[in-house]
Amino acid sequence: MLKTEQLREGERLKRLYVFGNEYLEGDSFSYVIAQELKDCVDIVYCRSPEELIDVEGEILILDVVKGISEPLLIEDCSVLKTKKIISLHDFDLGFFLSLLKEMGEKKKVKIIGIPMQGDVEKIVKRVKEWI
Amino acid sequence: MSKEITLNHITKIEGHAKLVLGIDKGKVRRCELSSIEGSRYFEGMLKGRRYDEAHEMTSRICGICSCAHVVTSLMAIENAMGVVVSEQTEKLRVLLTLGERIRSHATHLYFLALPDYLGYESALAMASKYKKELKQALHMMKVGNRIITLVGGRDLHPVSATVGGWLSLPSQEDVREINHLLHGIKKDALATCKLFFSLKYPQFESSGESFSLVDESEYAVLKGRFVSEESSFEIHEYRKFIKEYHEARSTANFVVKEGKHYMVGALSRLNNSSVFLSRDAQRMLKKSGIKLPSRNPFENNLAQAIEMVHCIDHALKMCEELDLHDEKVVDVVLREGTGVGAIEVPRGTLWHEYQVDGGGCIVNANIITPTAQNLLNIQEDIREFVPRIMHLNKEGMVLEIERLIRSYDPCFSCSAHFLEVNWC
Repeated sequence: MLKTEQLREGERLKRLYVFGNEYLEGDSFSYVIAQELKDCVDIVYCRSPEELIDVEGEILILDVVKGISEPLLIEDCSVLKTKKIISLHDFDLGFFLSLLKEMGEKKKVKIIGIPMQGDVEKIVKRVKEWI
Repeated sequence: MSKEITLNHITKIEGHAKLVLGIDKGKVRRCELSSIEGSRYFEGMLKGRRYDEAHEMTSRICGICSCAHVVTSLMAIENAMGVVVSEQTEKLRVLLTLGERIRSHATHLYFLALPDYLGYESALAMASKYKKELKQALHMMKVGNRIITLVGGRDLHPVSATVGGWLSLPSQEDVREINHLLHGIKKDALATCKLFFSLKYPQFESSGESFSLVDESEYAVLKGRFVSEESSFEIHEYRKFIKEYHEARSTANFVVKEGKHYMVGALSRLNNSSVFLSRDAQRMLKKSGIKLPSRNPFENNLAQAIEMVHCIDHALKMCEELDLHDEKVVDVVLREGTGVGAIEVPRGTLWHEYQVDGGGCIVNANIITPTAQNLLNIQEDIREFVPRIMHLNKEGMVLEIERLIRSYDPCFSCSAHFLEVNWC
């Protein structure tokens, strides 16, 4: 297990932006994993992607990814499926990150994708390696 | 020459709608706009539920307008049960509603409407050239979200508001934060006006009257009479004037006022209440070139931009006036009753009505969304508008028709029901 000191960025803990829906089975798994990471990172629960607009430095995101069975590290946002925004309900994290890219925002984004369920201990260990 | 245009999925609006247009020898023979959203059955679900569950349930009608449904539902239930809330409760509800309007208008204007006028397919396509503009939109959306979170307890489906008051109050520090954030986006709202005033809008006049709530002392948010240029009535009388009817082709009801289609939304509010706009919003109105009363639905975009300025000023006024103190939620004494709530929300006037029995159970519920009210008006606008664009090819016509529909900022997801409710 990584020590808290190793996770420090200068004097500050790294900030982890957690997406998901605490009330939805599967989508709430990011909240479960985040709880286990709170000693290592500064957790920020995000409900809307525009909360990331003014974040400086690397943006570290934890989110649930449908259809995977093991954690996944995404460092190239162009692999995200982006649909055209046809309604305000489509304004999701994928659209927002694509928008940032098109706007020429040179932000380094790292997304840690986790499955909708799984062995918490194993997943936490893996996620910590990527933080 | 005859042609038939079917738009099975109209994009960049909330939810799903379909338009069938039949043109024969230069005349519109068939024009049918329908909502093709799955039926929601919210009113049916509310029957038999407790009075204090209605706002939480109806919040789920729409994630974009969840605060609107919460506040309208609470007010209707309170009217049914004779609950009178404090001035502080009202002010916080106004602040919550304004926060949602700022978020909704910023998103609609920049991400759904603007690409049409700049010749782009979507906001993504225009992002590299209009970075500054999209950033200011994102900032306004973020502030709208923050206001809702601080006042309502979270940014979607607020949890703090309840029948008779608030379960949890924001702190005075929260109000100071809101005040600071609002000052920060005022320049963005003014820039939004400038941007939208610089765009070209088709000249067109809708035949529907424009209705909105009109308050005696301010730009209406939570109260007022339902007023147009030609008529008005008290909200509790709405059943005498407003009728809903169903057509098999649409899952949303159509709504008429004394048999006629009408329009609600930001432009209607401007038409009926411009005298109460803030000083800066008045200044923007003068610069906009809108001649009130305006029945040009394309100018609804301009009206939303002007309202952004006003909403910020109004919310700032609320922040200044709020001197938060602990208050007990008003005790509810169970009694039979029927109550109507109507408030101004981003897309127009939203109506909720509940009939409650002596045990506090909801016997009947009726919800009329702004889009349901606008639906027939939009359809009739299309019928009038199409002859002017017959010279365009099919693609061009579709684009112009979609632009007209989008100017109303419709939300078909929220068209809550499709069956006429029979009240006993």
